[in-house]
Amino acid sequence: MYSIAVENIHKDYRIYERPQDRLIELLTRKPRHNLFHVLQDISFTVLEGRSLGIIGDNGAGKSTLMKLLVGTLQPTSGNISIKGQVAALLELGAGFHPEFTGRRNIYLNAALLGVPDANIADMEREIIEFSELGDFIDRPVKTYSSGMYVRLAFSIATMVRPDVLVIDEALSVGDIAFQKKCVERMNEFRKQNKTMIFCSHSMYHVQELCDTAIWLEKGRIREIGESHLVVGNYEAYCNSRSVDHHEPLDINEVEDRKIKDCRVIYTMIRNLDGEEIDSIEPLTDVIMETKVEILADNLTCNFGFAIMRNLSEIMSAYLTTDLDDVPKGPFKKGEILTVRSRLNAVSMRVGEFHVLGGVADASGLLWYETKLSNLIKIKSNKGVGSVVMRVDWSVERD
Amino acid sequence: MFFSLLSQWLRAPFTHYRLFHNFVRQDFTGQFAGSLGGKLWLFVTPIVNILIYSFMFSVVFRAPMPAEYDGIPFVVFMMMGYLPWFAFADAVGRASTMLLEKAPLITKVMFPVQIIPAVGTLVPYMVHGIALGLFLFYLALQGYFSLLWLWLPLIFLFQFLFTMGLVAILSALCVFLRDVQQIVALALTTWFFLTPIVYPVSMIPVEYQPLLILNPMHSFVQMYRELILLDSFSMSSFLVIVPVSLVTYLFGGWVFMRIRHAFGDVL
Repeated sequence: MYSIAVENIHKDYRIYERPQDRLIELLTRKPRHNLFHVLQDISFTVLEGRSLGIIGDNGAGKSTLMKLLVGTLQPTSGNISIKGQVAALLELGAGFHPEFTGRRNIYLNAALLGVPDANIADMEREIIEFSELGDFIDRPVKTYSSGMYVRLAFSIATMVRPDVLVIDEALSVGDIAFQKKCVERMNEFRKQNKTMIFCSHSMYHVQELCDTAIWLEKGRIREIGESHLVVGNYEAYCNSRSVDHHEPLDINEVEDRKIKDCRVIYTMIRNLDGEEIDSIEPLTDVIMETKVEILADNLTCNFGFAIMRNLSEIMSAYLTTDLDDVPKGPFKKGEILTVRSRLNAVSMRVGEFHVLGGVADASGLLWYETKLSNLIKIKSNKGVGSVVMRVDWSVERD
Repeated sequence: MFFSLLSQWLRAPFTHYRLFHNFVRQDFTGQFAGSLGGKLWLFVTPIVNILIYSFMFSVVFRAPMPAEYDGIPFVVFMMMGYLPWFAFADAVGRASTMLLEKAPLITKVMFPVQIIPAVGTLVPYMVHGIALGLFLFYLALQGYFSLLWLWLPLIFLFQFLFTMGLVAILSALCVFLRDVQQIVALALTTWFFLTPIVYPVSMIPVEYQPLLILNPMHSFVQMYRELILLDSFSMSSFLVIVPVSLVTYLFGGWVFMRIRHAFGDVL
């Protein structure tokens, strides 16, 4: 059974240059606005008892989508059907009156969520207990810390036992202990076959709490599927973007520049005996090697190696830009260079990686060409954790 | 469509009684939360106001009373217009900020927004209703009471509906056009002096007096005065009051319901 069915919704905001344009348009029915498409072609369904996570960059339309689901905004076109009562935590404590006590606000907030006073009386004790407010419940809400505020709001919204709970970033506030309780409460919720929509920047929580996830990008669904897959792809996307901004190591970008002053023939890893290898014992020494052919006269270059977990995530990088004791040219056309860098005591304990070898110009800013090695594996070994270091022990008697 | 909007408008305070009740209580007691005097101010403020105006108009300015009100103190004459007017003016004055203040709620929580103008009108009417009640009690002690007073609650209800219609329109307009706030403040002052409240109708030049029929607040004031002070039922006022109140109330509700979905986009 579908609990939520969203069919092909679009949401446009009308942007008016002057505030009075809106009024004139309303009266004359002649358009005076520019359209801004916040959401386009959004369709999905959520089964009863399942939970959906919504992720994406700021401005991707997450909040707008949440508001549409809650009903405070109307879609420009398309249909949203939701079965049952919806409780929303879009802004924690949106309905709180700062001058009133927490107890008074429980009643007010629950009335907003559509609960009769008689039922609230039963829930009151439970809410106070869950929110851990203690004596503070009889003080004005304005004296609360932001954590207490959130705790009260969350307690009320979940205690109301709606059929559908919509939560926006609720877990980002509050201490770890309360976050844990919230997660437990939300899991309990799922067990009771209630539907949940959860929007967060905490990828961990989305993975843990949601069955499926939607990745919104610029108002469209970029990906929808099992939450851990979508979250994984989104994280990879975020990482690649931050790499792009800081390290000009992207292979495609170099191709685009069409600079053909030199070329990289290969990049590989050798052991100290000079044999090519594709697996490494932790804490041993290896040599990264790349062969470069110079295609232009009088070329000064810098060299670099990067250890990459995947095409977009650099784990560690080494450049000659700031080194003076490495020959950097000028080289003559036709020369072949072998660039080597020795990695002492490789400290990765698990995983696999590529080595990227490359040549940059004299400034180190413009990369002529880079090439990836084969996939290198870390040999399985005994231990815990992702990093292993060389250690010396001592135990002494005083 | 038209009728379903109107019925949603009419029924909201009843179908969402809990929410309405809680909002009213929040609004009402919220005014005094944290203040030492608390609800005492509900009584102190109107009493002090009445005293100030008594002094002003019986000692400083001495307006001539029309012949039919002969023997009635000017303060009593004035208060019968002033107290209902202030319930009206207070509600309309708050209308412009009503929805803006509740913006976080309107954009984040789904609830029947049409409750807000109802609450925003009811609370001033409760506050000023107390003052009016006190004053009527005082008049009853002075021997003014008659059975015609039983009309008062009905007239007050019509005034309430008239106010609520205006409040609905103004509060909704102000979401789109903030200037409404300033316009309303100015208009209320103008309206106050255009209504014979602190002066009798007889002071208006005769040729302008028929224009007063365009001012529904005058009809209300006239109605109250004749009922309470002259012991007569002003049919001419009543015939203005009933249609004007109902039309304003329904039209205001219809406008509000029509544009309520756009609030979320603008707030």
